[in-house]
Amino acid sequence: MLEIEKVMSTGQLPKSADPTTYAMVQVDQDKCEACGNCHEVCPTGVIQAVGSDGKHQVVDPAACINCGQCLLNCPYGAIYEQVSFVDEILAKIKDPNTIVVSMPAPAVRYGLGEPFGMPPGTYVGGKMHAALRKLGFDLIWDNEFTADVTIMEEGTELINRIAKPDKKHPLPQFTSCCPGWVKFVETFYPELLPNVSTCKSPIGMLGPLAKTYGAQQTKTDPKKMYTVSIMPCIAKKFEGLRPEMNASGYRDTDATITTRELAYMIKKAGIDFVNLPEVQPDPILGESTGAATIFATSGGVMEAALRLAYEVLSGQKLTNPDIKAVRASEGIVTASVDVPKFGKVNVAVASGLDNAVKLCEEVKAGKSKHHFIEIMTCPGGCVNGGGQPLDPNIRVSDAGSPLLKTYKKRFGMC
Amino acid sequence: MSNTIKEVTRRCFLKVAGVATVMTVTGIHFVDTAKAAALDFIGKRQTSVYNADANIYAVRKSQDNPMVQKIYAKDGFLHDGPCGHKSHDLLHTHYTDRSAELKKVRAKGIKLKL
Repeated sequence: MLEIEKVMSTGQLPKSADPTTYAMVQVDQDKCEACGNCHEVCPTGVIQAVGSDGKHQVVDPAACINCGQCLLNCPYGAIYEQVSFVDEILAKIKDPNTIVVSMPAPAVRYGLGEPFGMPPGTYVGGKMHAALRKLGFDLIWDNEFTADVTIMEEGTELINRIAKPDKKHPLPQFTSCCPGWVKFVETFYPELLPNVSTCKSPIGMLGPLAKTYGAQQTKTDPKKMYTVSIMPCIAKKFEGLRPEMNASGYRDTDATITTRELAYMIKKAGIDFVNLPEVQPDPILGESTGAATIFATSGGVMEAALRLAYEVLSGQKLTNPDIKAVRASEGIVTASVDVPKFGKVNVAVASGLDNAVKLCEEVKAGKSKHHFIEIMTCPGGCVNGGGQPLDPNIRVSDAGSPLLKTYKKRFGMC
Repeated sequence: MSNTIKEVTRRCFLKVAGVATVMTVTGIHFVDTAKAAALDFIGKRQTSVYNADANIYAVRKSQDNPMVQKIYAKDGFLHDGPCGHKSHDLLHTHYTDRSAELKKVRAKGIKLKL
């Protein structure tokens, strides 16, 4: 076991090629205080008390969507990660025959500064690129580029579904960027799979583009490429291991790490992160827009898609790109967006799967009036993902209050 | 009726102080406070995202990204456009019905929230 930004990890590579046979997170029985916080925040309830002492465990990987909300919210640091590619990545970086490609998600740059003492949410996009370069990544590509590509694909798909609805591709269309949500809908609502966008997530797109288009443009042998997905998310480790993610003729994503693991690598390399210059990503698969960066927060995919759909459906320029009606911090947000020459586009945004369930039930009953629904598993979206640096107020040991622990034991409050 | 600070009687103050003490001691509001604090923390990250969108990124729409225009251009890598053949092969996927696995979980007697 090793400690990575206050979270324990086995440091091990995946146990087997089939990620459905193990959960990405598990509970250390020696540290569990049986408080039940994890069960409270678990979307499926698969992390639950076993035995008479009330200690919790992920009891079956099939019902775990690997979101890691349990891990973020454990007051005792009892929940650890079971899969880590950190050592393999460090070895690949050292190997002169391997071209190591970085693919950081939008939300990473809103959390990565925190482990270095920067205020919560500080934007560190440029410093992140500089750190990746310093760590020895050969190509600094950026998943924000494919967030833009996702909008092109998913926005076009939505417009096609509206123009020609059919049984195979019905309305409403659900987003498919969130790997926790995708495993959830495959497991709990398979009848809604035709409603889920056929688009891969941005990282699902960047892997194959790196090893085809990117390889061509940079005259790199794709066999030598090693693609590293850097995510605010634990469920992305599952997504990267999906057997179908091999469209490039190779494994599209070779490794997946979290924001915390990247911070750990930067510290281990002795890089003075706070004082790094702002560096641009490499061309071809690096450039991005504001529409891409807002993928990091709940409602962002929706707003980015509407910035495209508005212009395509109306044939007019959208002068003010801010669509504040869909910005969501909690619960379900619904909006009707007036599009000239088209009419109303009805949308819903939900983060937290208890909210998603309400929308799923509506669609299942045929009562949904929405064209497009965005679902994110983590409350608030990817900025609050299971792979992000911890909120310093959650841990009993961090709070520095021995009283707190006593109260919790005595009253079982959380 | 809103009391100004001067109108708070001694009795009223003691009552409020008493209730506050009990709440502090029993930690009744601990969960709520923790939740509110967490939302506040995540709120800072969310605010930063919209701030970057408005002030850091020069281009704000995906369709205006020059590299996106390059990849979808007539002589580009995805020249048949979004949702075209090449996109279909590389960028779109299919899903797996995993409900049979869920049935096995339930058959073991495991209770879930759904």
